[in-house]
Amino acid sequence: MTAMTQQRIWLWPWFVLGAVASASMAVAEELPFAEEAAIRAAVDRVAASVVRIETAGVSEAALASSAEVAPASGPSTGVVVEEGGWILATSFAVPQDAREAIVMLPSAAGSQRRVARVVGRDLSRGLVLLRIDESPPPVTEWVPRAELAVGQWTIAVGRAWDGAVPSVAVGILSATNRSWGRSVQTDASISPANYGGPLIDIRGRAIGILAPLPADTAGMNLGTELYDSGIGFAVPFEDMLRVLPRLKNGETLSPGVLGIGYSARDPFTGEARIATCRPGSPAAKAGLRAGDLIVAAEGRPVTRIAELRHVLAPRYAGDTVRLSVERAAGQAKSEQAKSEQAAPPSRIDVQVTLVKALPPWRRPILGIVPVRSAAREPRPGPVKVAWVWAGSPAAKAGIAAGDQIEAVVPPLAEGDTTGAGDAIPVDSASTLAGIVAGTDVGKTLGLVVDRDGKRQTLSIESVAMPTDLPGDLLEQIPPFAAAPAAGVAPAGDAVTVERLQAAEVAQPPLAVLPSVGSKEPLGVIVFLDVPRGPIDDAQAAEWKAAAARHGVAVILPGSVDPQRWGREDIGGIKRALATLATKRAIDPARIAVVGRGAGGAFAWLVAESLGPAVRGVALIDSALPRQATVEPAEPGRSRWVLFGAAADDAAADVSPRVEADRRRLDEAGSPAGTLPMGQGGRVPAATLAAWVEALGLL
Amino acid sequence: MIRHAGAIRAGLMMVICFMVGSSWMDGIASRAAAASPQETIAGAARKVVKIHGAGGVRGLEAYQTGLLVSPAGHVVTVMSTVLDADELSCVLDDGRRYRATMVGVDPRRELAVLSIEAEDLPAFTLAAGDPVPVGTRIFALSNLFGVAVGDERVSAQHGVVSALVPLEARRGSYEVPYRGDVYILDCTTNNPGSPGGAVIDWRGRLVGMLGKELRASGSGIWLNYAIPTAALNEGYAEIISGTASPAAPAGATASPGFDPAVLGLVLVPDLLDRTPPFIETVVADSPAARAGLRPDDLVIAVGGRSVASRAALQRALAALAAGDAVQLSVVRSGTIVECDLGPRPAAGRKR
Repeated sequence: MTAMTQQRIWLWPWFVLGAVASASMAVAEELPFAEEAAIRAAVDRVAASVVRIETAGVSEAALASSAEVAPASGPSTGVVVEEGGWILATSFAVPQDAREAIVMLPSAAGSQRRVARVVGRDLSRGLVLLRIDESPPPVTEWVPRAELAVGQWTIAVGRAWDGAVPSVAVGILSATNRSWGRSVQTDASISPANYGGPLIDIRGRAIGILAPLPADTAGMNLGTELYDSGIGFAVPFEDMLRVLPRLKNGETLSPGVLGIGYSARDPFTGEARIATCRPGSPAAKAGLRAGDLIVAAEGRPVTRIAELRHVLAPRYAGDTVRLSVERAAGQAKSEQAKSEQAAPPSRIDVQVTLVKALPPWRRPILGIVPVRSAAREPRPGPVKVAWVWAGSPAAKAGIAAGDQIEAVVPPLAEGDTTGAGDAIPVDSASTLAGIVAGTDVGKTLGLVVDRDGKRQTLSIESVAMPTDLPGDLLEQIPPFAAAPAAGVAPAGDAVTVERLQAAEVAQPPLAVLPSVGSKEPLGVIVFLDVPRGPIDDAQAAEWKAAAARHGVAVILPGSVDPQRWGREDIGGIKRALATLATKRAIDPARIAVVGRGAGGAFAWLVAESLGPAVRGVALIDSALPRQATVEPAEPGRSRWVLFGAAADDAAADVSPRVEADRRRLDEAGSPAGTLPMGQGGRVPAATLAAWVEALGLL
Repeated sequence: MIRHAGAIRAGLMMVICFMVGSSWMDGIASRAAAASPQETIAGAARKVVKIHGAGGVRGLEAYQTGLLVSPAGHVVTVMSTVLDADELSCVLDDGRRYRATMVGVDPRRELAVLSIEAEDLPAFTLAAGDPVPVGTRIFALSNLFGVAVGDERVSAQHGVVSALVPLEARRGSYEVPYRGDVYILDCTTNNPGSPGGAVIDWRGRLVGMLGKELRASGSGIWLNYAIPTAALNEGYAEIISGTASPAAPAGATASPGFDPAVLGLVLVPDLLDRTPPFIETVVADSPAARAGLRPDDLVIAVGGRSVASRAALQRALAALAAGDAVQLSVVRSGTIVECDLGPRPAAGRKR
C-alpha cells in the first residue's frame, strides 16, 4: 500500500464532511418539497380505499332535514375499513331513511357504480356501515389515539369528485378530544366533499373518519354549518374499529342514556348532584336517587358535571359505566339524628347499564305550591307551603298552608338495594321539585312536615299533572304579599308602568310591575298580541289589576315590523327579560309566554328560544307554528301548555290544527289544557296571572 | 522538511476535498431548489399586476388581478365586469401605473388579454404541459380585497392542490361556460379582487390562474379554483391570433315542464316530498318498456350522473335537450341495471 493510497483514504471523510455541511443547508430549503412528497405518498397509501358515495333513493323531505346548509344530494366520500367490502360513510350521505347507497369504486377504467346495503348505523357518531359484494383494499394502518398530538400534520382525503386521484386538504390536528370525547379536530378544509373520507397522518395512517359531528349536542346534522371554516371533526379510527363487529352484526348503536337531571345549570362549574332520577331509568334501577352527588366515574374523580359528560358521552346504549356517589346520611330516619352531629355521607358504588331511550315521562304532582323564591337568592332550608291545590293528594293528606317540608321519603325503587327508604333532606324548592319529578305517577312519597314545631310524616300518592285550570282557581290562590283583596280595584300606585330600556332596543317593551312587596319574587308573563308595531301605554290598562293581585310582571313587547313578529323581536324580548331581572327579583319557576292570533305561534317560538326557563305557554286563537318542534317532556323541561279560543271565526279557522297540536303534545307527554276566555273573547288577564302563580305547583 | 511539506500538502488536500465535496452537493441542491420560499414569492409577485377598472356600482368590485405573460406587456386576466370600462389601468409590483388596452377575450375560457405600453417586464412563461399532481403545495398571489395599494406587493396565501376535476363535476350548480379541468385549491382564494391571481408551486412555476368568484346557488358553498396554465396558454394563443370562439357553447335548454310520461315512465306519486324516485308503472310499448325498465326500479342516475331524489331526477331529465340520449341507471334487487331509452322526445306533456 503506497503512501498516496493511504492519503486518499483519510481524505474521504473531509469530502463527506464538506458534502454534509452543504447538504444540511440545502435541507432547510428542501423541507417543503420533502413534505409535499410525503403528503402525496401518504395519500397514495390510502387512495384505493377511499370511495365515492352517492345518495340514492331518498326523498326531498329527508334531504331537507339532513342538511340546512349544504344539500346532501351531491356525492360524498366513504372509506373501506375491512376486507369483504365493508365501507364506513356518514349519515350525511346516507340519510336515516335510505336503505341502500351507491358506492363508486375508483378504477383505472373509470369509476364503477355498485349498490351498497346499509348494514349498521352509529347514531352517536353519525356514521353508517355499508357493504358491497366486492372487496376493495381496506385501510390497514391507523394511529392509536394515544399517539395523537396537537400540531401534527393531518391530511383529509375525499372522493366526492370523479377525479383520478382523491381530493386532498392539508392541515394540522387542532385538538385530540372534541364532541365530549367522540372526535378529534383538524383545521384542514372539511366539507360534504370529504365527509366519510379518512383523515390521515403524514405517513398515510388513518387518524379518523371525517364527519359533520357537532361539538356539543347529540343531533347529527348540526355539524354541517362548520364546513370549510377551519374546524372539522373526525371520529377516531380506533374507536370505530372497536365497534365495527357490532355494526357488521347489523346493530344500530345509539348514544347511551343514564336518566338523571342535575341541580346545577352550568356543567362547567356545577357539581354533579342529582336533582331528578327518572323512574325506570338505568340510574333509578341502579339505586341512584335525587340528592346523590356523583363523585367518580370509571374510577376517575368527578368534581363538575362536564367531567362526567366526558365519560358518558362516548358511551353507547348497552355500555356499562361505574359510578360512585356520595349520599347524605339519612338523618330523618331517627328523630335524634338531627340534634346529633351530621353523620358523614356514605359512599355508594354502582354499575349502570346505559339505555337507548327512557320510558315516557308524565309530570307527577302532589298538589303543593311552595312560597316563591328568587333565582338569585333561593330560600335555604325547608320548603314552606304557600297554598294547596284543592282536591289534590296533598290536600287529602292534610297538608296545609304554612307547613314546612323538611324531608322526603322516596318510594322504594325497583331493584334498589342501596338503602332507599332513607329520607332525603329538602333544602330548597328545587330539591323538592326534583324529587317529585322523579316519582312515578301513582307512587307514594312520605313527606316529613314540620307544623307549628311538631314533626309528622304524611304519605302522599302522586297523581298526573292536571291540564285544565279549575273554575275556582282565583279563590284558591291567596293574594300576593300586600296586594288588594279580590274584587277591590287596585289603588293607583299598586302597579307601575314603565319601559324596559335596553341597549340596542329601538322600541323598549312596556312593563306592568307590581309596586308592593317589591322584595317578593315576581312571576312573569310575556304577552304577544296580534302584531301592530310599537306598543302604547294604554295597552297596559287591562293587566294592572291582575299584575298587582298575583305579583306578576307583565311584559308587553311591540313588533319591529308592524305586520309581523320576527326574529329581531326575540332578541328584544330576551334583553327585556334581562333588564327586568336587574330591577326586580324573578321566580324562575313562574315565567310564562302568552300570545294571541299571530302572536300565539310566535309565543311558541319565543318559548323555544328561551328554553326550559319558560314554564308555561298559552296560545289564544292560535295553533303551534307549523315548524314547531315538540320535545318529549322530561323533568326540568316540562311546560304547561294552554289553548284558548274566542268564540269567533278566527278561532274556528285554527281549531283543526289546534286539535292536531293537542295530540302531538299528548304523545310527547305534556298534554295541553284549555284556557277559559274572558267575556266577549277578551284576554283573561286575571286567569292568566293566577295560572302563573299556579305554575309553581308540585 | 519533506515530511513538513507533506503535511502542508495533506492540509491543502483536506481543504480542497472539503470544498469539492461541498460544491458537488451544492450543485445537486441548486438543480432542485434555486430559491427559498420567500425568494420564490418575491420573484413571482413581480409578474403579477393589480387591475383597476369599472365597477363600484351595485357592490361590485372595481379591481382584480392579472398575470404578465410577455416582456412586452401582455396581461392575462379573468373576463369580468371589471373590464367593462373606458379606462383600465394596471399597477405593477414597483408601483408604476399603466393605462391598459383590451386585446381580446376568450368567452369559452372566460379569459381576457390586456396590453400595457412597457418593455422588458418580468413575465410568466405560458406553455402547454402536464398538470401538477394533486397534493402539490402552492402559493396564491392576488390583490384580494384590493388591499395592495400602489407599490404594495399583492398578497400571498398558501395551500395545496386539492383536486383536478372538470368544473361541471362540482357538486351543486355552478353556472360557468368553462368545461375543462380546473384545480380545486385547498386555500381560501375565493375573494373579491382575487380573480386573475397567480397560482405557483414552491419552485415558482406557474400552475394556473385564480378563477372568478363562484358560489353554488343552492348550497352557498364557495369554490376555490384555478384554471391550469395549459388552458391559459391555449386561450392566450387564440386571443393573440384572433381565433377565439366568439360565443360560449350553448348549454342544454331546460324544459321544466318535461313529463317523464312521454318516455312511458310513471313514477310513484310524490306525496309530501317523501317519495324516492321509484318507478310505479311502465307504459307498454314505450321507450321505457323497450329499454327494459320495470315497476319498482329505483332510478339512481341519468346519463351517468347521480340523482338522489325524485326532484333531482325531474331536473336531470329536464336538462336534457330534445334528441339527447336518455340513459337511466336503476337499482333492481340489489344490482344496477343500465337502460337506454333512446333519444329524448321533444319537451311537452303527453296528450
